[in-house]
Amino acid sequence: MNRLRAWFLAPTWTVVITLFLAPLAIILGYSFLTRGVYGGITSPWTLESYQRLIDLIYLEILWRSFWVAGASTLLCLLLGFPLALFISRSGRHKNFYLGLVMLPFWTSFLVRTYAWMFLLRDTGLLNTLLLKLGVIHSPLPLLYNEGAVILGLVYGYLPFTVLPLYATLERLDRTLLEAAADLGAKPWAALTRITIPLSAPGIRAGAILVFIPCLGAYLTPDLLGGGKSVMIGNLIQNQFTTARDWPFGSAVSLVLMAVVMVMLFVIAPGEGEGLL
Amino acid sequence: MKRTPGLAIYAVGAYLFLHLPLLILSIFSFNSSRFTVWEGFSLRWYSAALHDTQLTEAAWNSLIIAVVATLFSTVFGTLCAYGLWKRNSRPLAGSLYLSLVTPEIVTGISLLAFYQWLFRFLHAQLGVHTVILAHVSFCIAYVVIVVIARLRTVDATLEEAALDLGANEWQAFRYVTLPAILPGVVAAALLAFTVSFDDYVITSLVAGVDSETLPMVIYAIARRGVNPVVNAISALIVIGFGSLVLISERLRSA
Amino acid sequence: MNRRYFLFGAFATSAAGGLSACSRDRRPRLNIFNWSAYIAPDTVPKFEAEFGVRVRYGIYESNEEMLARVMGGNSGWDIVFPTGYIVKPLLANGLVAPIHRDWLPNLSQLEPRFQRPDWDPNLNWSVPYMVTAAGIAYNRKLDPRPKSWADMWDPRLRGRMTMLDDPFDTMGASLKKLGFSVNATNPAQLDRARAEAIRQKPLLRAYLNAEARDQLVSGDVLAAHMWNTTAQQAMDSSPDVGFIYPAEGYAVYPDASVILRESKRQELAHQFINFLLRPDIAAANALTARTTTTNAGARKILPPDFRDNPTLYPAPDVVARGEWAITLDPATQRLRDRLWTEIKAA
Repeated sequence: MNRLRAWFLAPTWTVVITLFLAPLAIILGYSFLTRGVYGGITSPWTLESYQRLIDLIYLEILWRSFWVAGASTLLCLLLGFPLALFISRSGRHKNFYLGLVMLPFWTSFLVRTYAWMFLLRDTGLLNTLLLKLGVIHSPLPLLYNEGAVILGLVYGYLPFTVLPLYATLERLDRTLLEAAADLGAKPWAALTRITIPLSAPGIRAGAILVFIPCLGAYLTPDLLGGGKSVMIGNLIQNQFTTARDWPFGSAVSLVLMAVVMVMLFVIAPGEGEGLL
Repeated sequence: MKRTPGLAIYAVGAYLFLHLPLLILSIFSFNSSRFTVWEGFSLRWYSAALHDTQLTEAAWNSLIIAVVATLFSTVFGTLCAYGLWKRNSRPLAGSLYLSLVTPEIVTGISLLAFYQWLFRFLHAQLGVHTVILAHVSFCIAYVVIVVIARLRTVDATLEEAALDLGANEWQAFRYVTLPAILPGVVAAALLAFTVSFDDYVITSLVAGVDSETLPMVIYAIARRGVNPVVNAISALIVIGFGSLVLISERLRSA
Repeated sequence: MNRRYFLFGAFATSAAGGLSACSRDRRPRLNIFNWSAYIAPDTVPKFEAEFGVRVRYGIYESNEEMLARVMGGNSGWDIVFPTGYIVKPLLANGLVAPIHRDWLPNLSQLEPRFQRPDWDPNLNWSVPYMVTAAGIAYNRKLDPRPKSWADMWDPRLRGRMTMLDDPFDTMGASLKKLGFSVNATNPAQLDRARAEAIRQKPLLRAYLNAEARDQLVSGDVLAAHMWNTTAQQAMDSSPDVGFIYPAEGYAVYPDASVILRESKRQELAHQFINFLLRPDIAAANALTARTTTTNAGARKILPPDFRDNPTLYPAPDVVARGEWAITLDPATQRLRDRLWTEIKAA
């Protein structure tokens, strides 16, 4: 087994070391260096970037990011689970329904975000419809707020919950549910007592796949939030572009990663490795 | 298996939610005016999109990159998931985990820094290959997660039975486990393809002069305001992939 | 199965490589990286035809985007178009190739004030291209019309105003409102500007750049902090849109072409820049891109209504109110960046 396993793991190890860990090490190094006079990196080595982080404003930014990402993840799971359940039970047409979920997501993420801008604008479809129907008398400010950002994130990341949930649900042993029915359990009880607990790996996978990108998102908050709030992703992006302060940007990135890892290990101890 | 009607109704609603915004975008792609006011049917935006060499080149690039990256990441990722399922490797699992936790902008910047350092020795430049490598790098973790979630639901004793019956480990994997997890692998490949085709942040940082991708072009166009050309492109992509999915469905049931 | 995958993968990769090789052309190539919508559609084809070369023309939306690509020194681009205050950082990082003035006979076509610009007095490193400035675009139905930055703090416009999503521009507006320079380095002044911007934030709809254009045209937005080129595009689309340069003064951004040190086609690059300096070419670029050209020869041959367009070619007294944006020192840059974060997070 060991030799086969070694061969199986080798390609991934190569990719991970050269294309992920090595670059990350470079960024780690950058976080301890100083910003060059006009951008870029120079010596000396310093802890300054990290010291700058000890500030209330960055905590506030972190908190807001957690809140938005958390809300989006929860919604994605709630919306995605029934859909994944449906697909897993649709017999011969599984791949078709799966493809139907993926279809919107082969257009660009940006296009999907713009679709919501198109719909939510003051002169967009939603407001125009509501005005015509007489439900409202002046356009609702649907765009450029946190709700719009969450909506955009949910819309963008929904398949990331559907796919892993489907992968787990599809393999679910139907006989368990039949047995439950035989024992007199109602469908709802079977759902909450059997299906959901057994799909825990899929739920965890989906949650991770949505929460993390949402935490570091910056396109969606920027486009749908009107640039009025700063999430961690925006902060980092700003450091690497406008501010040209790579050391500080690297420091923020690494702190973010550390915070998330800590959080995940606290909330799901042992699951961290159990997940992979 | 008794179908619950409530679930089907929900599914309809969910699919509507997923598709309606794009449907509306597509409808307005036929609008002769560039504004939200319907002014008449017109194909001018499609003509503009198809005649835009930058767009078509970028679309082609995106496709090639996504196909190659999906291939490698699915193969590597599936094998890796199997290996980890057999016996966990904390460093590898931890690294893959880390690669998921890292924000895209950080991955992108770190790869850019890495390439720039590397190219001092290799006299190479950013291009399609650097993008493909970057995509494989971040797609593998997604594949591993999905396939492992699937592997968790597979009965390990099946392989043991195969081994008892005289198969070697490779055969046990190939003929027992792999078919069992194939739907999961397909799902993982779909996910990897989507993530790759769709990526903007990392790609925009490591793309070279000749390797512009579709998201990059769309972002550039859309940044300047609502432009129906974007609507036309998205409609074309949806139709293109829709047909692909339909064809693959036909082949599958044939 | 594994072997099949491998073979398929190898085939796919080689196919991809083969395909990209097929599309390669034998003519000499020039790679140009410019701002979006900053050139006439036929300029590049004309150059390609006249000089028998092939051009790859890439676009970007911000200096930072361009910088991130070229910082490494092996981006593949030959010519880029930084804003004036970015030339110094490029130079400091050793990314710029010197300009051979004798290879640019058309340099004399430039307007006198651009023959000796602040950031490069002898034009050793860059050649001015176009100029942009920031002001206020508004809906003509507004009464009274905005005249100064202070009008962007008007509570009557709550929810119908946008400011640029750009730290330099938006802080610059606050600074100007308080009577300071857009290039202020004094921490006390910057802090007051920050407070002003935070005061303004609840009144804003959003921080938007080019996106505000369509919303202005459609009437969603009544007043927008906007660059004059974007405003001109809005005005082209709708007679209801107007533009003013605020009374307190405003920031001016000259863009210049720069040849990268990594370029292996220095002479061809010079030929392109010289081509851009031809009055007819420069005029066509300014006309289609709706921009202000730095080329005096071009200005002479522009159609009169464009040449006297107050948005793009304002009267001398308006021009006098403008202030060039300059490169800021790292300490100020850091302070400003921190203040911008506070404004955005407020």
